[in-house]
Amino acid sequence: MTAGTPSALSPTVKAAIAQALEAADQTGEGRLAALARHEPSTLWRLVQDGVIDLPSLSRHTRTLVADACLGVAAASDGGAIDRLVTSLRHEAPVTALATLVDRLTVGERSPVLLEALFAQAEHPHHRQTPALRSAAQHSIESGDAARAHALLSALGGADTTLATAQWISRQRKRLADDPLQPIARVALLGSFTLDHVLPYLDLELRRLGFVPDVYNAPFDTWAREVIDPGAALRRHDPDLAILAVALDDLLPDLADRSLASTLAAAADLAVQRVADAAREYVAWSGKPILVHAFHSVFIGRGDVEGRDGPAGSAWLAALNARLAEALHAIPRTYLLDVTAVLTRSGAGMDAGKLRHLAALRLPPAAMPELARTYARHLAPIKGLTRKCVVLDLDNTLWGGVIGEDGMHGIRLGHTSPGAEFVEFQRFLASLPARGILLAVCSKNNPDDALEAIRTHKSMVLQEAMFSAVRINWQPKPENLASIAKELNIGVDSLIFVDDNPDERELMRQLLPHVLTVEMPTDPARYRETLETLPQLQVLDVTEEDRARVEQYRTNRQRDVERDTTVSLDSYLQSLDVRIGLAPIDDASIGRVAQLFQRTNQFNVTTRRHEQADLQRMRGAADWRQWTLRAGDKFGEHGLVAVGLVRIADGRWIIDSFLMSCRVIGYGIETALLAAISAEAIAAGAMRLEGEFIATKKNAPALDLYRRHGFVQSDDGTTDGVERWTLDLPNGGIAHPTWITQE
Amino acid sequence: MTRPEDLVARTFGVPPSVVTDTTSNQSLAEWDSLGHITLLMELESTYGVTLSPEESMQVTSVAAIKKLLADRGMA
Repeated sequence: MTAGTPSALSPTVKAAIAQALEAADQTGEGRLAALARHEPSTLWRLVQDGVIDLPSLSRHTRTLVADACLGVAAASDGGAIDRLVTSLRHEAPVTALATLVDRLTVGERSPVLLEALFAQAEHPHHRQTPALRSAAQHSIESGDAARAHALLSALGGADTTLATAQWISRQRKRLADDPLQPIARVALLGSFTLDHVLPYLDLELRRLGFVPDVYNAPFDTWAREVIDPGAALRRHDPDLAILAVALDDLLPDLADRSLASTLAAAADLAVQRVADAAREYVAWSGKPILVHAFHSVFIGRGDVEGRDGPAGSAWLAALNARLAEALHAIPRTYLLDVTAVLTRSGAGMDAGKLRHLAALRLPPAAMPELARTYARHLAPIKGLTRKCVVLDLDNTLWGGVIGEDGMHGIRLGHTSPGAEFVEFQRFLASLPARGILLAVCSKNNPDDALEAIRTHKSMVLQEAMFSAVRINWQPKPENLASIAKELNIGVDSLIFVDDNPDERELMRQLLPHVLTVEMPTDPARYRETLETLPQLQVLDVTEEDRARVEQYRTNRQRDVERDTTVSLDSYLQSLDVRIGLAPIDDASIGRVAQLFQRTNQFNVTTRRHEQADLQRMRGAADWRQWTLRAGDKFGEHGLVAVGLVRIADGRWIIDSFLMSCRVIGYGIETALLAAISAEAIAAGAMRLEGEFIATKKNAPALDLYRRHGFVQSDDGTTDGVERWTLDLPNGGIAHPTWITQE
Repeated sequence: MTRPEDLVARTFGVPPSVVTDTTSNQSLAEWDSLGHITLLMELESTYGVTLSPEESMQVTSVAAIKKLLADRGMA
């Protein structure tokens, strides 16, 4: 059906349907669901004619209707599709949306439709497979190679099946590579089929910023390739060669559970053959080689081994010890514990029937992990290892917020919660010995944070281990630029570790060359996240690496001027900060009371009003209260700010104004002050007054009033209370342009 | 039940509209030896069947997949 085609339904029928829908809400929705299932075209006609009003339906039914309409809309007028997509906003069902785009030609896809698709594909939290695939396809067809590469990489992360990985690597072949991008050459030499790792390796190498050039030697030619001067391997000249020889191929006798003694000679020969191959290769190539350690499908499965039984786990361990020893004598040769890779992948030991059918020695489900492991070895060879890890403190090195929870409240110790952070710190403490510097960048009062670092009994990291420290309330990108300057390294040598997604986003936008690590929300996984980071891998620790760490420590300057000014505007605009304002109600009063007890830093008077006081103020004519909920494109922050105003003789006096320090830096305090001033103006007040009581901890709130145009009253400070005044006829306080009020 | 045509389309990343009974490892460039292994894994997990080595070598077209499912009483 296209535009201009008369509706298949007569006006009488449509009116009857509309009436029926209106008459019985629940039943009406039930009928719509049935129509969606059996008569999607009729339903689509009704939506186009405005008989069905999507926004008035329940979300569940709306999704059913949208699904059905998108499914049959391909032949319709573009304007009608646009109106449907626009009315659905972010609720458009992703699979149906992607399928619709796939059915249309590049020219038929409207900007509105594509915007909806790319919003689903590129949103940091959605990244749904159908949207990514369809958006990538569109980018390829419309010739946007850079965007297509990025979407394909994201798709590879979201869907790790072999079919998808293969599809991605086939699509890449249709795309131009950036001629300025460095190439990574990897050669695979195996005694078994390694084809299944290729699509994943392609993905991982591109994720590191390389154009992959992978040479997969013909099946079981490893021994010849390394010695033959005419072999393709020499022309390929890889940055890293991988020698994957399976013990089960060298010693088929393992399958009949031979005794260790009868295998001794053959085992010696196996070690020798692999070591010889590595030695040959390194001798002519001068480049590194990564050698698979021995593993066997027939050993190490937890079988009953007995005291003098067949060759078992101890025998295999001894064999690998001999292999390690032989390889250690050869320069630029590294051992890969394949069994550990299989364990990490969770794929098990065995390829099952594919062992016979396709000569696989490793299960296909282990291939993503194997590819990551290869890439992790290539990273230091290609010089990707970064020089310095900059660490946040609160909820990164310990659980909780030192400025609010205090020394005894933060989670750091030998039981959980807290043990996770000790384990993470132990890993970090090992980095300086590998030539990687540590630094701190935290939004805190320096005294609080330094006290914790210096005196908390469970701190593993000591102050002397940090080559640079920035504990202040400045934007973190400024601090990282200054750390780079102090250490005399580029910002592209820094890794930024912070649990807060907003800080990470700010860093990515303002200093894209800093490597900002996507941290998991679970601190138990912090250690693993950094341990497996390609840019933190070191293959050989040199004396210079160790010396560098020492040198930075002794050169450390304590007070480095802050000379970078970065514009935050575009970042704030991109965050989509949303707030909602409401008086205290039954649902929120508990959280508000908690904020009053816990907030030490952004708190102008630190008056600890309790729940009963707050309850009384709710009913009192001389009190006004505001609570503020905030969220942004990364998620909800919840109820994070509270303001209390006391009205005395027509004077509006801010008694309390507090905000969680998690949301400092977004202008949320300005939004709350703007709301308070607007209400004061509406009530006819001439001035807004603010009280401030300085404490050891509330430095972040120190300039709140000054920043917003208040002037300190002449009568100065009485009883420790500063008084600030804003004349309201000047128009009050402007609401920040980047914050949406809901 | 997933149609064999859709399974083949998904496995090789081609539009379902190009897959017919005669689609085979001869007609589809994406259906190479590595692709065939992927297809075997998809067949076993999607239909909950275990293929014998002989069957594994024989399912080289959509028609052959349908015959296999029919033999198992699944079509």
